[in-house]
Amino acid sequence: MMNLYLQFGHGMMGLCRDLIRSWGGGTAILSPRDLKRDQLVKLSREIRGLADGHVLLDPQFYIPRSDHHRLTAHDYWPDSYQTNGFFGGLGMQTMMADVLQLNRDLGCAAFILPGLFATTIDDVWISTLRATSEYAATMNAGMPLYATVALSSDSVRDTANIHEVLAEFETLDVGGAYLLFEHPKGNYIVEDPIWLGNALELAAGLRILGKSVVVGYANHELLCLAAASVNAIASGTWMNVRAFSPDRFLNPDEEEIRRKAVWYYAPSSLSEYKPAFLDVAQQRGVLASMAPPSSYGSTYAAALFTGVQPSSVGFGEPEAFRHYLQCMLRQASGARGSTFDATLTNLRQMLDAAEQQAQMLKRNGVLPQLRGFAEAFDTVRSALITLEATRGPMLRRAWARL
Amino acid sequence: MDIPWLSAKFPQLSGLKLLARGGQKVVFDAWHANDGDVVLKLLHKATGEERLEREVLAGQLVECERVPRIFEVGSFVTPIGDCIWLREQRVHGTTLRTRLQSGRLDFDSVVRLGVQLLSTLGQAESKRIVHRDIKPENVMLDRGGNFWLLDFGLARHLDLESLTATRHAFGVGTVGYSAPEQMRNRKREIDGRADLFAAGVLLYECATGTNPFCHGARDQLDVLRRVEQLSLPRLPFPSDRNGAFADLIAALVQKYPNQRPRTVAEAMAWMNEIASTQANPAVGGWSV
Repeated sequence: MMNLYLQFGHGMMGLCRDLIRSWGGGTAILSPRDLKRDQLVKLSREIRGLADGHVLLDPQFYIPRSDHHRLTAHDYWPDSYQTNGFFGGLGMQTMMADVLQLNRDLGCAAFILPGLFATTIDDVWISTLRATSEYAATMNAGMPLYATVALSSDSVRDTANIHEVLAEFETLDVGGAYLLFEHPKGNYIVEDPIWLGNALELAAGLRILGKSVVVGYANHELLCLAAASVNAIASGTWMNVRAFSPDRFLNPDEEEIRRKAVWYYAPSSLSEYKPAFLDVAQQRGVLASMAPPSSYGSTYAAALFTGVQPSSVGFGEPEAFRHYLQCMLRQASGARGSTFDATLTNLRQMLDAAEQQAQMLKRNGVLPQLRGFAEAFDTVRSALITLEATRGPMLRRAWARL
Repeated sequence: MDIPWLSAKFPQLSGLKLLARGGQKVVFDAWHANDGDVVLKLLHKATGEERLEREVLAGQLVECERVPRIFEVGSFVTPIGDCIWLREQRVHGTTLRTRLQSGRLDFDSVVRLGVQLLSTLGQAESKRIVHRDIKPENVMLDRGGNFWLLDFGLARHLDLESLTATRHAFGVGTVGYSAPEQMRNRKREIDGRADLFAAGVLLYECATGTNPFCHGARDQLDVLRRVEQLSLPRLPFPSDRNGAFADLIAALVQKYPNQRPRTVAEAMAWMNEIASTQANPAVGGWSV
């Protein structure tokens, strides 16, 4: 089964507690950017106090020269950083010891190692990946080690470089990888089949190597990672925790959460709609087809389907976020089949059905505007075909043990 | 080479006669009182003494039922110059290249080739040796229908320093069979998985009758481009239950080493599973 983890972002403390409680368990990836140390400790204690509640800590050391004051205020953040010396010496070791201690204080289920954002995958970046992994292996962390692989959109597109990373992991003594893929051009839904195909390739290659794989900052487009046998994808509330961008960790001015529109996620069309368009759907008699299947257990959006005009029922951000994550949980856990081929079939059927539904809604004037999936259906199909060609035989054979 | 002169040097051999001559190598057929049919190979040292010694070492290390056994090795001065000589087991049969000239192999034979070739390469892998030149010319089909791997002339011992200069843009091997990382001389990436690629191409060729990278190619560079870029169509073998064999071949011929089985041993286990589930009882399955 592919799990859904909660990617912590602004204003998610209550949501994490509520969802993990209602799910009967779950994992939150905590964010030092958004939480001070005492908040981290408190939230971790609360989550771990829930049945089957777990936490991970993303140290977010993607850009060491970040000026993000809340992030750099954490004890583990180095006071000074020199690219050449840091990862080869005491600087890295001290930081790793501090991050490990924080992981222990938080009771983390695994130790996500600090890792640099790779603008390009070069020897320097590879050597930092190796240095942190090798040093972590000497620390007796007492929990699985996950190496961070945070890649720029250009790096993700570079197939040869993706294989450089995979070649490196063949000899890295870590139990897993925490993968972060920057979206091209800041797009929420990615339309580039090479980008998505390489993301699948990297994830599948790591899984075949026996590594656990968690992909952070995911939205519903990455449900297709089930075909790569990914262990978990992590998603959250705002767009900035559903699509990875290094800017979020760089610039303190960027972090103001502006008032944004509320979006309703229609899982049957893999698209999101503003309430005004739900009104159109109601008027055209197709609103009911946008409701989540009852098996998804999302009651957060129930008010939209009571017969009252959707835009008037007070469907706000808290409901929209909870509904999205509830649907994602069910879609993620249902995506994986008992075999690789069954998983591909699941995903292709989901895409076909969603495309038909989206087209039907479009014919009725129900448009998703910026959050539509229309251009991504073929992107995902193409990436799955590539995965089947390159990794299909190995995944087919290894599926039962992955 | 003067046969009487050679006979005098090897009095234990009888019936010496020239079998083949090519490059810096001369091969003779002979009879040995203890070892039976043998070949005597003379390898000219001008080829590079160290590489010849590596070839001999590789051949000796890979003790395998389907690699001709090396009985004796030495060096001497001949009328054609300094040579290393090898006396090794003679395999009676034909090369796969010659066999393919009369058409593709049937499914049972291709599976037998897969089992025996991967078993041999697995032995090589266990001795840290990469053959680096798997191709129809270097596989012999004997009269009993078994396949033998010949010629470790380009073999690389992974624990010994490479003899190919790192600065070279292209590595040793045969274009159309050698793996992309081998052709591009990315030495750090070369291990048993390079042989798996070539074995996959060879099996594909035996199944279809043509090398998909070479067939219709304009020139060597075109072949190289195809090796690096062309994804091979899936093998259409009606006898291949559940497409298991096609899956294995597809995995072997992937462009990047990490996309192939991690080791030859893993590929061999996979091949053996296919052979055991698809063996034709009428012909008694396939033995190594």
